Amino acid sequence: MENRLVCLGGTSCLSSWFLLPSVPSSSLSYSLSSPSFISLDKLLDAGLYTGEVTEIAGGPGSGKTQVCLCVAANVAYGLQQNVVYIDSNGGLTASRILQLLQARTPAEEEQAGALQRIQVVRAFDIFQMLDVLQDFRGTVSQQVSSGSAAAKAVVVDSVTAVVSPLLGGQQREGLALMMQLARELKTLARDLGVAVVVTNHVIRDRDSGDLKPALGRSWSFVPSTRILLDVDEGAGASGSRRRACLTKSPRLPTGFQEMVDIGTWGPPEQSPASQGDQI
Amino acid sequence: MPLPWLCQHFHPPPLLLARLEGRSSLKEIEPYLFADEDSSVHGGILEFHGPEGTGKTEMLYHLTARCILPKSEGGLEVEVLFIDTDYHFDMLRLVTILEHRLSQSSEETVKRCLGRLFLVNCTSSTQLLLTLCSLETMVCSHPALCLLILDSLSAFYWTDRVNGGESVNLQECTLKKCAQFLEKLVSEYRLVLFATTQSIMQKTSNWTEGPSAFTHPTEADADYRPYLCKAWQQVVKHRIFFSKQVDFKTSNQFSLVSRHLKSNSLKKHIFIIGESGVEFC
Repeated sequence: MENRLVCLGGTSCLSSWFLLPSVPSSSLSYSLSSPSFISLDKLLDAGLYTGEVTEIAGGPGSGKTQVCLCVAANVAYGLQQNVVYIDSNGGLTASRILQLLQARTPAEEEQAGALQRIQVVRAFDIFQMLDVLQDFRGTVSQQVSSGSAAAKAVVVDSVTAVVSPLLGGQQREGLALMMQLARELKTLARDLGVAVVVTNHVIRDRDSGDLKPALGRSWSFVPSTRILLDVDEGAGASGSRRRACLTKSPRLPTGFQEMVDIGTWGPPEQSPASQGDQI
Repeated sequence: MPLPWLCQHFHPPPLLLARLEGRSSLKEIEPYLFADEDSSVHGGILEFHGPEGTGKTEMLYHLTARCILPKSEGGLEVEVLFIDTDYHFDMLRLVTILEHRLSQSSEETVKRCLGRLFLVNCTSSTQLLLTLCSLETMVCSHPALCLLILDSLSAFYWTDRVNGGESVNLQECTLKKCAQFLEKLVSEYRLVLFATTQSIMQKTSNWTEGPSAFTHPTEADADYRPYLCKAWQQVVKHRIFFSKQVDFKTSNQFSLVSRHLKSNSLKKHIFIIGESGVEFC
């Protein structure tokens, strides 16, 4: 139970997930002239971190599933690592991932190789999800002992679908189950060195009218990082633009916003008319 | 790790007690925050309370850094025990803070600082209780240990409530024992304990805080609804409420309201969080 920390070097908590030109974390200004940036990553300070739970919150149609698919595609193809995708929404289809992979590489063997690294599991209630996570732990320990590559990212889309039926009323059991799931996810992230990404819905705050993540206060303490996705009001012709805002982070100041094009998952197309709308 | 029953039979001899006089007081640990504290008073239990994203954990890193940094760099060169109950502790962030605060930060100096930090993970309230039971020998064998941090005490709240069945006493019993143990440790060995509790309860509309709320109404204070067991409420000396400023101009500022429970005095402080951690405004 007690760890004396003497040696820091080689911490496994940090991994840079996306192949990006390196961005110094102090420069948070949005650069209009860098089309090769995957702008969501600037938000996440050069990528998702292993050992942590990152939450993507947004309303219906805000692009949460698309972000999860992009994460899965990037980790499987760009980083050549295994991904476990836990789907509780039914939003995942192989054709959607294939489209994303086709945009990244024309070679069919590479696309197939990347698809094979994505393991899809479906869990439609909380007990199934807890089972899935337990099984994953078991598999990882087997894989580690046999030397084969274990998954480096676990995507849960969405956590609200399995937890919200349990909440409401005076039921303590629902909250206890939710916290048990939270503990499983955090333990998984920390012990197995995995980056966990979860999606959550949003509700409107009664007093301030702002969007806030669903599942209540107890859940709000669980993720280390939270990104809120919102449909851009001045979207105009392009329907795939979203505003992504960093609302919780253990290492960056919050409130940082980026415009993201979820169709291509990059900065929005530059057009003279829309330049005035940019941040 | 010695068995818990062993600890009950181990009483430090008076000579050892004399060594413990040298532990740091609250005022030394954070002079800005505890300017009104009597610096001859050693030890005490302080509770950090607030919703998520209000800077409680950052404040813990700030206090930890202050304790483990060497005296030449403005620290206290004392040891800290950090008990993490929800896998929240971010080593990278602490190292970043240390590197920014050290005048010449090298791997060696950072390692030496981290050598003064003990980190324990607990995954259930029973495990927390057992850990606290076995802490006594550790505190005795490390006279430089003077700060205990518990982040957070409310992590097992819902799990305990369900495991205790219908009886509220059963639900709270482990946490009650933890609170009693902590109080015993803190008062016997003159330690300082900072424990965080999360604001997981909504304030009900007919909740009345007591006379003090009417004389010093502040937003963070008014939202407080105690939900942990009475044994814990009784051992807390200071309660510090954290909140984020909602004003657009000051959107990166955090505020804390420190209430001394016996004297009922309130003090408000504003701080921002930079690369090197908490900075008071």
